[in-house]
Parts: sequence; C-alpha cells; structure tokens
Amino acid sequence: MGIECLVLGAGQEVGKSCVVVTINGKRIMFDCGMHMGYLDHRRYPEFSLIPNSQDFSDSISCIIITHFHLDHVGALPYFTEVCGYSGPIFMTYPTKALAPLMLEDYRKVMVDRRGEEEQFSSEHIVRCLKKVTAVDLKQTVQVDKDIQICAYYAGHVLGAAMFYVKVGNSAVVYTGDYNMTPDRHLGAAQIDRLQLDLVITESTYATTYRDSKYVREREFLKVVHKCVAGGGKVLIPTFALGRAQELCMLLHDYWERMNLQVPIYFSAGLTIQANMYYKILINWTSQKVKDTHATRNAFDFKNVISFDRSLINAPGPCVLFATPGMISGGFSLEVFRHWAPYEENLVTLPGYCVAGTIGHKLMSAKIPTQIQLDEDVQIDVRCQIHQLSFSPHTDAKGIMDLVKFLSPKHVILVHGEKPKMATLKEKIESELGIQCRYPANNETVCIPSTHHVKAGASDAFLQSCLCPNFKFFKTDFERGSDLDDDFPQGDECCSTVQPGEEGR
Amino acid sequence: MLSNGIVVEDRSLVEGCYFRAVALLFDAENCVRCSAVRAVSQWGQLLVALNPDETKRDWSDALFVQLCLMIRDTDMEIRVTAFNALGKIQTVSEDILLQTLSKKASAATKQKSYPGQYTAKLFKVPATAAAFALVHGLEDEFYQVRKSACHALKMLTVLSAEFSRGVVHILIDMLNDDSMVVRLQALETLHCMAMHDYLKVEESHLDMLLGSLMDNNALIRSAARKTVHLTKLQKLAMFRSCIESLIKNLELYPQDEADIFNVLYKIGREHGKFVINIIKEVSQELEPTFDGHLAMNNVRTAALLVLAISAPMSLEQKICSIPPQIFSYAVTLLDRLSCGLADVMDQNTILAYLSHCSRFTFASASENFEGQALDSHLKDIRLWKKSGEICHLFSESMELKKVTSLLHGNLLDPHVKKASFSEAVLRKMVDLWPLIQLGCMNEVIQTLRSWKEELRNYTCASHRPDGASIFALKYLHVIKLIGKAWACYSSLKNLQFKGMGGLEALLIKTERRLKEMLYRFAGLSREENLHILELMLVTYTLKFSYGGTCCLEYYMNRLNFVLSRVEYLRKEGSLELSDFVIELQNISCEIGNSEDGSINKLCLLQKCLNLFSLKHFVLSRELKYLDAEVDVCGNDFQNPLPFISGLPVGIPVDITLYNISSEIRLWLEITLGESLTQFVFLDLHEFGGLNEMRKFTFVAPFYKTPNVKYFSLKVSIAMECMSESHHFKHRNGPKYELVHLCKGREVHLSMAVK
Repeated sequence: MGIECLVLGAGQEVGKSCVVVTINGKRIMFDCGMHMGYLDHRRYPEFSLIPNSQDFSDSISCIIITHFHLDHVGALPYFTEVCGYSGPIFMTYPTKALAPLMLEDYRKVMVDRRGEEEQFSSEHIVRCLKKVTAVDLKQTVQVDKDIQICAYYAGHVLGAAMFYVKVGNSAVVYTGDYNMTPDRHLGAAQIDRLQLDLVITESTYATTYRDSKYVREREFLKVVHKCVAGGGKVLIPTFALGRAQELCMLLHDYWERMNLQVPIYFSAGLTIQANMYYKILINWTSQKVKDTHATRNAFDFKNVISFDRSLINAPGPCVLFATPGMISGGFSLEVFRHWAPYEENLVTLPGYCVAGTIGHKLMSAKIPTQIQLDEDVQIDVRCQIHQLSFSPHTDAKGIMDLVKFLSPKHVILVHGEKPKMATLKEKIESELGIQCRYPANNETVCIPSTHHVKAGASDAFLQSCLCPNFKFFKTDFERGSDLDDDFPQGDECCSTVQPGEEGR
Repeated sequence: MLSNGIVVEDRSLVEGCYFRAVALLFDAENCVRCSAVRAVSQWGQLLVALNPDETKRDWSDALFVQLCLMIRDTDMEIRVTAFNALGKIQTVSEDILLQTLSKKASAATKQKSYPGQYTAKLFKVPATAAAFALVHGLEDEFYQVRKSACHALKMLTVLSAEFSRGVVHILIDMLNDDSMVVRLQALETLHCMAMHDYLKVEESHLDMLLGSLMDNNALIRSAARKTVHLTKLQKLAMFRSCIESLIKNLELYPQDEADIFNVLYKIGREHGKFVINIIKEVSQELEPTFDGHLAMNNVRTAALLVLAISAPMSLEQKICSIPPQIFSYAVTLLDRLSCGLADVMDQNTILAYLSHCSRFTFASASENFEGQALDSHLKDIRLWKKSGEICHLFSESMELKKVTSLLHGNLLDPHVKKASFSEAVLRKMVDLWPLIQLGCMNEVIQTLRSWKEELRNYTCASHRPDGASIFALKYLHVIKLIGKAWACYSSLKNLQFKGMGGLEALLIKTERRLKEMLYRFAGLSREENLHILELMLVTYTLKFSYGGTCCLEYYMNRLNFVLSRVEYLRKEGSLELSDFVIELQNISCEIGNSEDGSINKLCLLQKCLNLFSLKHFVLSRELKYLDAEVDVCGNDFQNPLPFISGLPVGIPVDITLYNISSEIRLWLEITLGESLTQFVFLDLHEFGGLNEMRKFTFVAPFYKTPNVKYFSLKVSIAMECMSESHHFKHRNGPKYELVHLCKGREVHLSMAVK
C-alpha cells in the first residue's frame, strides 16, 4: 500500500484548501476551505470525489484544520452539517476559538447584507464546532489505534499549525500556511526533524525572495511618518486578525520611540475584539510578546483609540486601521472615499489583492487617477499609495529551508500559482534531489509508503555497530581512544542503527 | 568535546572525524545536532589548520558554508551554537560573506560547491547554502540567536570591507531591537567596525545610532558614545545633529557628564572645521548674561564650551579662530573638565592650556586689528597658523608631562616605567611632524630636548638602560636631524640660495644614525625596520633635492636598494606601505625605465616628500641594544705601552660586549692617524661567555709600528653589516660596511726604553 493524495482544493490555485490523504488505508482530510472568488458550486471542494462518498463518516477517519482562515475552514460547517460528516475534527485551541467568529462574520456578510442563499446557519456553525477536538502544540493525539497526529507551530496567524500524521510506519506532514521568519507578534514555524514520506506544503510565494524584514519595516515607518509629519491622514486597510496587530505593534513602538502624538485609530468591531483574543492567547504569539507580557501586554495599545465616524473629516493627521483589507467595501471603502482625493494622505495596500477589488485597481494604477466605485460614482485618487510587503506566508527561501530541514522522500505543492509552482518543483528536485509534484484540483497522486520489516541482529553485530571502526593511515591507539571519548556522538550512533531494517 | 590539550597531526584522522560530525548534523535528535555543530566547528578548525596554505581557504569556506546550513534549524539552541561557531572561523572568502546578506545567488557563488553534506543524501554543499544566513540570524525570534549573530558579525566584518559596508544597514536596524543585550552587542560590533575603519555612517543611519544615546540603559549609552566618537562625519549637518544628540543625552542623563565631555572633546578634535562653524552660530549663547554670570548650570552651554576648546587641538584646523574669551569661560568648568578629560590631560594641564589659548589668541587678535596692509595681514595668518600649532604643541608637551607625573606617582617596576615612557614619547612624536613641516624648528628642538632629558633621567636612574629607551633616544636624535635637514631644505626651496654644505652634512649624519639604528638593535620588529627604512628613504629623497648630480648614481642605487628591502619586508610581513613609499616606488621604477630623463624626474621625487608623515609604532619590548666597551687598562699618555719601531706590538684590550651573539662578525679596528687602519677579526666562539654580556681581554697585534718615538692609536670595535651590499676594499679586512659599536679608545705607545 502507498500513500494516496487527492487534492480537492488549492491545487495549482489559492483558495478552498482541501487535501484528502489515504495512508495505509486510513483517510484523513486536511483543511476544509471555501473559495472566496466563486459563488456557485465551485466555492466548495468537490466532496463527491472522495471514495465511498455516501457516508463520509465512514470513509474519512478524521479532519484536521490548520488555521481559522476561511479558505481553510470555510466549508467545514457545510461538510459536517449539510454533507453529514460526524467523525472527529482536530484543530488548535485558538483556531477553535476564532473559527466560529470568522464563519459567522462571513455568513452575515453573505446572507444578511448580500441576501444570498444561506449555505449554513449560525446554528450549523455552533453544532459543527461542538464536534471539534482542540489540541495543543506538540501534543501527540492517538486518533484511533493506527493514527497519531501532532501539531507544530506554524506562525502565519494566531493558532496556525502544521500537522504531522503517522499511520503505521508511514508519516506525512501537512504544513497549511506557515511563515519561516518571525514577525512582531508571531514566531517562526517550528518543527522537529522527522522521518517523513511526504510533505504537503503551501507555495503561495514559490518564486518570491523577500528582503530583510527590517528593510520592509523601515520603509513602512518612513512613509507613514512622512505622511503624518506633513499633516496627512493614513488609511491602513487590513484584515481584522494578523496584519492589523503586526502593523499596530510596529507603529506603536515607533510612536513611543519617536514620541509622536498623532492619534492611531482602530475602526470599531472585530479588530478590538481580536486584540482581546490575542491578549488571552498569549502563549501562541512570538517569543518577545511572551517574554514581556508579564510586565506589559504587547496588545495593550495605549495610544490606540477606537475610531468614530465623525472623525473622518476631523482636521489634523491621524492613522486609521480599517477593515476589510482589500477595500472591497465596508468601512475602509467609506473612509477611502473621503481621504483619497487629497495629496497629503496615504493609503497602504496589503501585499495581495483579489482581482476586482479597489485595492487591486490601485495596485496597478498610476496616481493621480480616477477610480470607478460603482456605476455612477467615480472618485479622483490623488493620495499616495504604499504597497506593503508584509506577508504572513513564507517566501521561496523559507519553503526550500523547510523542505531541506525535513528532507522527506516526496513533496507535494499546493496553495500556489501553477507556473510558480513549476519553478519551485524544478528547484526542489535539482537542488535537494527530492521528488516533487504539484497536482491540479481533483487529481490524485500516489506515492510509495514506508514499511518496516522486523529483522533480527546479533548482539555482536550491534556491538560492532556501536563502536565503528575508524581506519586511518597512522594508528595511535591511545590517542584514538582519547578521541572516542571526546567524540560526542559515540553513544547516539545507535539512533541511526535500529534493530530493524527498512524496506518497502 | 575536544579537549584543548590534545594535538592531532594526522590529517586523515581529522578529516574522518570531521565528516563523521558533519553526518550527525542531520540527526533527528536536537541534542545530537547541537553537539554535532560544536564537533564540526572544532574538527573543522583543526582540519583547516592542518591543510597547506593553498587549500586552507577552501576548507575554511567549506566549514563556513556547512555551518551556515545549521542556522535554519528550528531549534533555538542549535542556531545559537551555529552562530557561535561561525564567529570562530578565521578566514572566509568575500563572495561567501556577501552571499550571507542576500537571498539571490551571486554569480561568484552560483557554481561553487564544497565537500561536506547538504542533506542526508547529498554530499556536496553548494556555496549558495550560505544565502542570507546572517540576516536570518539577525531576524530571529530569540534574542539569544540575534545576539550570537551580532557577535559572529563582529568577528566576520573584520575580514572584508565590502562585507562590512553591506552589514552596516542591517546592523543599524538592530539598534532598534527590543532586547538590551542585542542592542549592546550590535553597538559593540559597530564599534569594532569603527576601530577597523570599516564604518561609514550615512545620514539615514545616523538617527538610529544617535537614538541609542537616549537609551535608558547606561551601558547602551556608553557603548553608543564609544562608537560615535570614532565615526568620521562627512557633513556639517551630521556633525550638528551628533552634537545635539550628545547634549540631549547630557540633559536627560546628567550622570554621563564626564564621558560626554570626553566624547565632545575628542569628536571636536577630529572635526575642527565643523566645531568652528557651530561655535560661530552659538557664540551668543556662550556670552555671559547681563548680570555678568555665565549660565554654567546650563548643561548645553557647558557642552558647547567643551566642544569649543577642542578646536585648537584639531589637526585639520590650521587657523585657530575660536574667540579667546571662550577659553577663559571654560576655566570656570575646570573641575568638571578635568573629570571628563582625565585620559587626555590633568587639571593643571587643562588650566595651563586654557590660559595659554586665551592669552595667545589675544595677542594675535590685537595684531590683526592693527595690521591693515596686505602683507601684514599675511604675516598675521602665519602667526595665527603658528599660534594654533603652538597651542597644539603646548598641549602635547603638557600631555607628555602628565605621562611622566603619572609614572612618577606610581611605584611601578622601573622597567615598565621606562618602557611606557619611551612608548609615550614615540606616540607624541607623530604629532611633531606637522610642526616640522611648518618650519617651527625651534619649538620642535625645545620639545625634543625636554623629552630627551626626561628619557635620560629615566635611563640614568637604572643601572643599565634597556634597549627600548636607547632606541627612543636615538630616534629623537634622528628626528631632530631630519627636522633640521627639512628646515634647510624648505628654506632652500623658498629662497633659492644658501650653502648646501650644512644640509649635506646633516643628511650624511642622519644616514649614519639610521644605519646604526638598523643594525645595533636586535629584535627589531618588521614594523620598526620598515619605519627606519622609510626615514632612510626620506633622507635620500632630501639628498636629491639640492640637485647635486655628482653622486646621483650612487644615491639612486642606495635608494633602489632600500626600496627593495622595503618590498621584501612588505612581502614577508604583509605590512602596509605608506603613500610616500608607494609613490617613491613608482617614481624609481619610472626613472629606472627611462634612460635620459632621470634628472627631470627628480622633481617628482621631491614632490612625494610631501606625502611623508611620521607614523606611530609600538616598540617591541625585547629590543636589545648591541654595545661594546674597550679599555686598555692603565694606559694613558703618561703611562704608555712600550713598542719597538718596525716590530709588531701587542695591545692588551679589555673588551666588554653586550647582547652580541657569536654569529656577528666583529672587528677590532685600530687606526693610526687618518691614513692607516688595521682590522683584527674577533672570533667570539673563542671567548665563550653569554650573549648578554661577555668580558675578556684580547691582545691585539698592531703590525705597522711607525718609526717614531711616540704615537697614539685609536682602538674601537665595529660590526660588519652583512645585509649591506656595499663592498669594502680592505685586504684581509671586512667585506661589508661597518657600524661602530663604541667610541674609539686612544692608546698611547712610546719607544721602549732600554
């Protein structure tokens, strides 16, 4: 038996992550996301492709969710409540706390504002989450007698994890989204060196090489400071969780250091609430936040004030964090409408904007320009635009570093764009000599798995393995034995020589 | 771990262990990997050391790249260990160092690979494995790793100037770190770079660096000041913001006052022009208020005064244009100044310096006021110039005095005293050169004389002077000679007349003294050798200046000979040559190549004289002075030795030799009048004794006794300089040039009375 890997989502694209892996007969679903770009059936993974799809509870041993982003968790209530899966579901504690917020927010936007057909109700969300088992980092969970899972810190967002799954002698790591460089509020991904048959990794930035984070921070602070020093207003559209906290911490520290008095606002709602979650889940944040939180909680932004609509046209400089991140609507669009026509103002854009959003239009536009908000509203954009290059995803160097560190037998790339994935595949195969695939959606990839066969070994053989014979041109026994003592790994050699041989 | 005691010389054994350790870098257990990193580092260094020079660099690079792999480990301790290990590597190629700052594979590293292990299965490490390694470390989540990475950088920036330039940007960012230890280490690394002159602070960085002056941690502030005072600032604006930050530092943390004064003084000394600009702008602030009180409590005023009084000390500033009253204002700060400048001068010196400066400039100022005509104005400028320099000189001798008083005070071992005193003299000497160039010879000679006396006092106090003090004395003498020659030379240049005899005599004397210094000291370091040779070159170049073409060829040969020795020294000791020597090399090459134009090129030679300046060098403690004493017991003109005309006579000479090894070819030189010289070879193996001191009586035969009733001989001891190429014509005598080790002793002989 081998490992069978069915990619239901995020194959050669970004969105609706969902990979079903069958290891030694056990079927595990990693992530159950929805695609934000589609409103029809394509928004969900094609669950019907799962063998024995009449009874998911029977065919799937467990579901593992890596983090709370909708493209990783969005389809879960649908799958459990509508499709009827009732087996075990695993996610980390913060994900379990935050996922319902995200799902409920999404449902509200879709149903209550846009009046679309309801895919799942609030009740569905609640019932779905009840089935979830929360896990902690590096806590090995025995799902049934064959399956072991273990979560490792992934950075990316609060509570994000990579999952290690072992069935029999075969082992797989599914990374979800991860970040290899620490930022201000989250640490870098951290995992043990494991014996792996397969690593399924994201590849959002498969060909991007990012500069040092210090350079990025310096640039960001420079433009913001310049803008407020010139009396301008800064609009920072962000998602509620993640970048908002990161940038806010950055600005907050800078404000303290430079002793700036310009107010920093958070648009009301989710963000303030999110800060509260961060304060509670302090264990999942970066080392620095953990180290200092005894004296001061890094998420107590004392300069940060909640924003009021009446302040939009108030005189004087200010910095405002507003949702949503891509200026696709909501409060950030409202503020944008007011501030964009003035040259002294500044609007920052996140690193990635979905096509069709205002953010995407601004990315490619040359200032000054005119932007069509809807059929009859058009505004002049004269403000400065700064594109942020902060990203919670690792870059190509990080992916290579992780793959090299884990050195699995096979790599599968998901969650990326096809041409870039092809480049990365080449790189992994040529540089590391590891076989790499990047299947499209609904494609199945089979790779061989590991079996250990028990073999006997005599004591004498083991003894001789423990004291490897060095052969040298000059032999000086006394000196040689000295060195053996000094050589630190003398006794650890046994970890590489196991009383069993590997075979397929 | 490898204990330090063992010595392994079997290269294949070391290689075996190294690769074994490398294989374990890929172990599943964290603690194994961590130990493996240490083992790789240790074995790797042994392996590098055991390799021949041509492959050493490659192995060192291989080790570096291999360790770079480990800085992406997910275990924090392994990363710390890896950075510690990286910091221990002695040599790394510049390409690889630069690669550690960039993710993109550079053209230079793309194709390279080294023996080692890249993954569990790949047994070649590409050079690109080092990509971004150091930046990763600086970006790390754990302060332990960041600190270790900063520390590794401190070691590695020394290796390459270009790498240092690249590192500055990111290191400056580290000053922003949350962790105090990281900030401190980053500052120390910057300080180390500044010490090696690799720190180019740009305007954009300055804010961050100066921001550290306001840090609430005293250690950081102190480290930041240490770095700031070493930085050379290009623009007035940068200097101004630097001063403003220091003043702000003082306002916020008055406890740092002494240190801040010190930095202000030193940084002012380095940037004299900027100081004068700034003092001009703020001179109003420094004036007393209406009620006649200086706002001395105002820290800003105090800081600016300190800055102001540093200006005359600046070498770049020839004209001292700080209003003299400022020096008298500064007197009110005397107490605080003496705390701050404790390492530069003592309180009395400061007082003397301040009163001197205020007086001196008053005089020039009044002269300036009177002088309306153009030439008197010019004269003033010269006076100004001199006054600035004299202030400088004044302070220098003050500083020197301080050195002696300090030494007097301490009841140290006399040997240590002497050594440090001669060192102090050599250090101060460097500052005399500008004065010589300006032609202030009287001042120079006075200073030299006082130093000489001081030195003598020390050397006389002890039983036998040590090599270093004698060297210092000789050096003082040579500088005096060169100074005089220089003065002659410049007056020659300006006035186009004056006899040349004086100059020539001076130069011949100088050359002889220099040769003596070269040969009469055992244990001269390469640096010292080079310095003496450089002075010799100056002497020869000066010689060409008066255009005496008669011995041109001889001196040209000498010049080339000395140049070749310099070149040899440089190759052997990887020393850096001064601009003067390099220029001289080029010119002599040109002259050598051209057949006819040698005389035309002579003016080039003279031009390069301006490049010369005295360098500071440290005396090696082991200097030994080769010396000899000769005596003929009981012989004087009333008690002559008997002789019979026409027959050889034996002269019993008591010889004492100091520090002369038996390898040296010694000759007893016996001269009769001006015409007759006879040499007797002294084979030291025959006499036994130690090199430190040998004492023996030697009966020297003198063959050609003249047909007179009475005559006197001169007996002295000379040493053959084997490295001088010059041949001597004496038959059965020395083949090479001689250096005398003692003064001639007169021996009186009279016809034996029957």
